[in-house]
Amino acid sequence: MSANSPLLLECKGIDKNYNGPMVLANVDFSLKRGEIHSLVGENGAGKSTLIKIITGVTNRNAGSIVFEGQSVPVEHNKIASERLGIAVIYQELSLIHGMSVAQNIFLTKEPLFAGLPIIDINKMNRLAQEMIDKYGFDLRATDIIDKLPIAQRQTVEILKALSNKASLMIMDEPTSSLTSTESAQLFKIIRLLKSEGITVVYISHRMEEVFDLSDRVTVLRDGKLVTVLEKEQISPAEIIRLMIGRALSEDESRHRMVKKEGEVVLEVEHLCCEGKLKDISFKVRQGEVLGFGGLVGSGRTELMRAIYGIDGFDSGRLTYLGKNYVPSVEKSIAGGYGFVPEERRLQGIMGGISIVGNIGVANLDAISNSAGFVSGTKEREKADKAISLLKVKPANPDVLVGNLSGGNQQKVVVGKWLIRDLKLLIVDEPTVGIDIGAKEEMYQTIERLACEGVAVIVVSSDLPELTRLSDRIIVLRKGQIIKEFAEGVVTEEDVLRAASGIVEGGTQ
Amino acid sequence: MSVSAIRRLILVGLLISIGAALSIASPSFLTLDNLMTLLQEASLTGIVAIGFTLVLITAGIDMSIGAVIAITSMVCVNFISYTHLPAYVFIPIALAGGCLIGWVNGFFITYFKLPEFIVTLATRGILAGLALIAAVKDDQGFVKNVFIQDEVFLSFGETVGPVYIVTIVFFVLAFATQLFLKRTRAGTNVYATGANPTASRLSGINTDRTLIGVYMFSGFCAALASIFLSARMMTAMPDFGIGSEMDVIASVVIGGTPFTGGVGDIWGTVIGTLFLALIKNGILKLGLSPYIQPIVIGGIIVVTVIADVWYKGFAEKRATRIARQKQALAKEGV
Repeated sequence: MSANSPLLLECKGIDKNYNGPMVLANVDFSLKRGEIHSLVGENGAGKSTLIKIITGVTNRNAGSIVFEGQSVPVEHNKIASERLGIAVIYQELSLIHGMSVAQNIFLTKEPLFAGLPIIDINKMNRLAQEMIDKYGFDLRATDIIDKLPIAQRQTVEILKALSNKASLMIMDEPTSSLTSTESAQLFKIIRLLKSEGITVVYISHRMEEVFDLSDRVTVLRDGKLVTVLEKEQISPAEIIRLMIGRALSEDESRHRMVKKEGEVVLEVEHLCCEGKLKDISFKVRQGEVLGFGGLVGSGRTELMRAIYGIDGFDSGRLTYLGKNYVPSVEKSIAGGYGFVPEERRLQGIMGGISIVGNIGVANLDAISNSAGFVSGTKEREKADKAISLLKVKPANPDVLVGNLSGGNQQKVVVGKWLIRDLKLLIVDEPTVGIDIGAKEEMYQTIERLACEGVAVIVVSSDLPELTRLSDRIIVLRKGQIIKEFAEGVVTEEDVLRAASGIVEGGTQ
Repeated sequence: MSVSAIRRLILVGLLISIGAALSIASPSFLTLDNLMTLLQEASLTGIVAIGFTLVLITAGIDMSIGAVIAITSMVCVNFISYTHLPAYVFIPIALAGGCLIGWVNGFFITYFKLPEFIVTLATRGILAGLALIAAVKDDQGFVKNVFIQDEVFLSFGETVGPVYIVTIVFFVLAFATQLFLKRTRAGTNVYATGANPTASRLSGINTDRTLIGVYMFSGFCAALASIFLSARMMTAMPDFGIGSEMDVIASVVIGGTPFTGGVGDIWGTVIGTLFLALIKNGILKLGLSPYIQPIVIGGIIVVTVIADVWYKGFAEKRATRIARQKQALAKEGV
């Protein structure tokens, strides 16, 4: 392949397994110069792995990669790929805080005074500003990164890639934390990049974006290439059909909300927290699964933390089991709350401690005597109970939780509450990073708990999950309740529209 | 005005007002002699603090600085006692020794991925012991107080005009290090490594090399201070510098370099060092017991840190409020 071939990147027969099942099997992937190419597939289809292989974050087991006419070796790494001209715009941004825009753009290649090892700051700022102006971004070279909103930080990442003379830019879910105006700006930038001859790989779950932007679409399913769609073949419905492997039938994307008549377990009235939450009121009943939808940053997690008692709030009233309630974590646990936090690794588990220890720590009241000594036998009984209830694998209570798979870790987090006299379970993002089988089990657990009369609050960004689990859905936007779906059928699209602020035709 | 600029202004204001108060309270405070001695004291701590600031910017810590001072002074004394090598030969060797210790610290921290605190605490223990072993002993095996007579060596304790050489070296080193931090690629790497090591590596910075370099510099600064200290005292003891970490850490923290990394600079440290030396000098000039010095220093550290944390929270709240107002304004504009 010569340097002026129409193909910028050509991957052939890529195989990858992480010492287990094949994550990618014989995948071909090619990019033309200056195209916007979307890579789509369900969670776990292998998109991220393919990107990691191209950027050298992980090595492939088989297959060849040719970039700009050069063969890319298996022992590839991030820095080498950057030198080739491959840049990734990360969701979790890789900028240095405390430094200016210009410093970040020119990190490690700052312009120097001729013949001296001294950085020419004025020149650096000027060059950065020229770049910014050339692309028409709303930024100043001297702005400190910390003070910029996420969307602008992303722009800085793009500038950094441009200054590296990247010919391929990979964007993984770039709009996930952007507002719709910010997304529109990003699309403008992406088209601008295309006009500069830069190839963009675009990964998104938002089908409209894929449809609007893409010149071609590669669809992956279960680690295999399904097909590559040309511009004229692209339609959202077709992509979804290919991703899932069948057309989404009406009942699968729509869910009927169910009115539950149980006793009110928790009532929240006019909860306010400066800058985070505004006048939130809702009730959750026995046996009900109440879903909370909304975009990242809409205040869902903040609300959960407030009603569990981790963070305080400014005003508002909680009534728990008919009594006025001022939440604190200790009281909440003693009173029958369970809380499965958003960040499993950071907030949910203690990785270096066994299953027994993880379960025991939330049940110290049940396993210790009045003098405060912990009974090893009782602790073990509790752990065994949780393991058998949730079918944790391996069913060995002495295994360190950090060594379990994501799904089993999550089971342990849920399990430590399950063995208590649970009245209200709050689950924030129940299935992030866990495989499909474990997901299904988690859903069944939640449904079973609801049947047993526990009130469950589920927060989820996964729309199919939210609509499937919930009896009622409340959608938050900018810290406020913007919509409640209490009856009738609700589609994923309805929830997404509400969360994005598109309510009954108008934008809010 | 930025947070750090305001902070600095407050410190300079305090420095001047405390100085003014001391001038009134003690007639012997505002004399050229006392001020130069004060500066000399500040410079000895300050040279070490400059190296320590860089370590702190990378979010590390160097507990071995005091012991480096001890071992370096012992190295010099041994050279003086047992060899007839001139000072301009063994002083570079002593300084290189400081760098070597720093390299060892950095190597263990980066290669074995050990915590900075543990590594440098261990080297501190080892060096403090080695200093005692290396000390020149008399017949009964007691540490002998060697008086340094080497004229070149002693000249390091002298003055140029009224100003001690160590003070000049301190300010030159401070200026050069500040320039290094703010205006060179390597200096930028120091900040980047402290602010976000992962992002730094992804940007192509060799963070291991940066860290090793920073610990070497810290060792070098401590060794340099040791030579000036020995020259001033005209002798060297194996307990020189042991415990001086307290003053160094206090100076840097008062100067506004936090333990979280990625932030800080040398001018802050210079001001912090002067502030601390002034307080210590003031305690003496007011005729108070020198034993209260560590108590006062400990108190100042706590107050500074509380003020910083409090102000940071306040500034963040204000920033979010302003951002929200801006957003609201932008919306009205549309």
